[in-house]
Amino acid sequence: MLNYKFLVDTFFVALSGAPTAILITVVSLLIAIPLGFLLALVRINEVKFFNRFAQVYVSFIRGTPMIVQIFIIYNSVPLILATIFTKLNIKINIYDVNPIWYAFIVFSLNTIAILTEVFRSALGTVSKGQLEAAQSVGLTNVQAYTKIIIPQALVVALPNICTAITNLIKGTSLCYAMSLKEITLRAKVAANVGYNYVEAYIDIFLVYLIICIIVEYGFKLYENRLRAYKGVSA
Amino acid sequence: MGQTMDKYFNPVYITDSIPKLLPYIKVTFMVVGLSVLFGTLLGFILAVAKIRKDKIAKKIADIYTTALRCTPSIVLLFLIYYGIPSVTKGFGIDLDDVDKAVFIVIAFSLMFAAAMCEVIRTAYEAVDKGQFEAAISVGLSDIQAYITIILPQAFVVALPNIGNSLLALIKEGALAYTIGLIDIMGKANLIIAANMNAHSLEIYIALSIIYWVVSIIIEQLFLRIEKVLSKGKQTIKVT
Repeated sequence: MLNYKFLVDTFFVALSGAPTAILITVVSLLIAIPLGFLLALVRINEVKFFNRFAQVYVSFIRGTPMIVQIFIIYNSVPLILATIFTKLNIKINIYDVNPIWYAFIVFSLNTIAILTEVFRSALGTVSKGQLEAAQSVGLTNVQAYTKIIIPQALVVALPNICTAITNLIKGTSLCYAMSLKEITLRAKVAANVGYNYVEAYIDIFLVYLIICIIVEYGFKLYENRLRAYKGVSA
Repeated sequence: MGQTMDKYFNPVYITDSIPKLLPYIKVTFMVVGLSVLFGTLLGFILAVAKIRKDKIAKKIADIYTTALRCTPSIVLLFLIYYGIPSVTKGFGIDLDDVDKAVFIVIAFSLMFAAAMCEVIRTAYEAVDKGQFEAAISVGLSDIQAYITIILPQAFVVALPNIGNSLLALIKEGALAYTIGLIDIMGKANLIIAANMNAHSLEIYIALSIIYWVVSIIIEQLFLRIEKVLSKGKQTIKVT
């Protein structure tokens, strides 16, 4: 039945891909949080043209499979880059570009759309009176947002942010399509030698399970802390 | 810029490949439909396990939903595809001749069940408990109360989440091509392979347009149903 030695060895092979998956997640979040927030504000304030753009963008990302988005980026960005490089006489071979850059692009674009919706619905739960009250006591718009609106919206948004992050981590499993050696591809390659696919996929399953449970647990702790503040102020 | 791009990118391939891809959407819908059917059944059982106070059943359902929530669909897909035959082989049952679609439906049913379990549970909890007591007090049996009073109300609450889970399932279903299903995604890859990988970008764009349109239609459909059902809710309140 199962090859237990392979099972244990490959677990660490899969685990060695975790830093790549986490790096992609973190970089995508760093890019997507500010831009997603900006697009959420554009949607809420119904800024002309940009509102429509944000709507179409979010609808497209949410309406198409991530694997198709990956293939589109992976097939188009090198083409665009190659034309730019030849035009500017930059001597970089497009095939030497580390696929992780494409992963950053795909997952950032995807997460921006997801977070736009998360932030939009969260900001919508904070009543307009809060902003007016903040302004009436002399706070600037920026101060009102950072001190009054965002902390309240964050409590509402937290569970959805957590879901977005776990989906992002799970999504990195699709990086195999860009030959990026993260958790899934590393274990799969190890399994190719002796056809130990069952063991390899059990290991991959365990690594994602551990990472996602840690993330969910972390969010639960943070949520409880934020709730505690709310209890004090009430 | 134009020259290099033209050689690789030709929009004609987008419009050409859409009619070639569309017939295969049947396969996509078949897999999705069966997964919804089995997934909803299992999800309902899991939700009942969570709602009822039985500790062991609740624990099992909790572990199930957590594990499935943390598993990428592609990992689950391969785990089922390689795992089930290797387990049955231990019992002397050979599953080599079983259609690949069976494993795909199993994997996506398991995934959809975890989502539906949470959808059903939260919808049930959203319905005021007084509704059940009121139904009993006017002489309805437990089953009657559930079917005629609780279920219709819970369904309206659940509707947006059911829509989201369905859309997620359709999109995740695209991964079935990895184990060789010729659905719309699988067909796209076949076309690309037949073209010697040329013009793959156009074909993926065509594919994304089809998925996008399907998603928008389903989204609008659910919004309509929700509107119709919520309207009924208001008239009940008035009378």
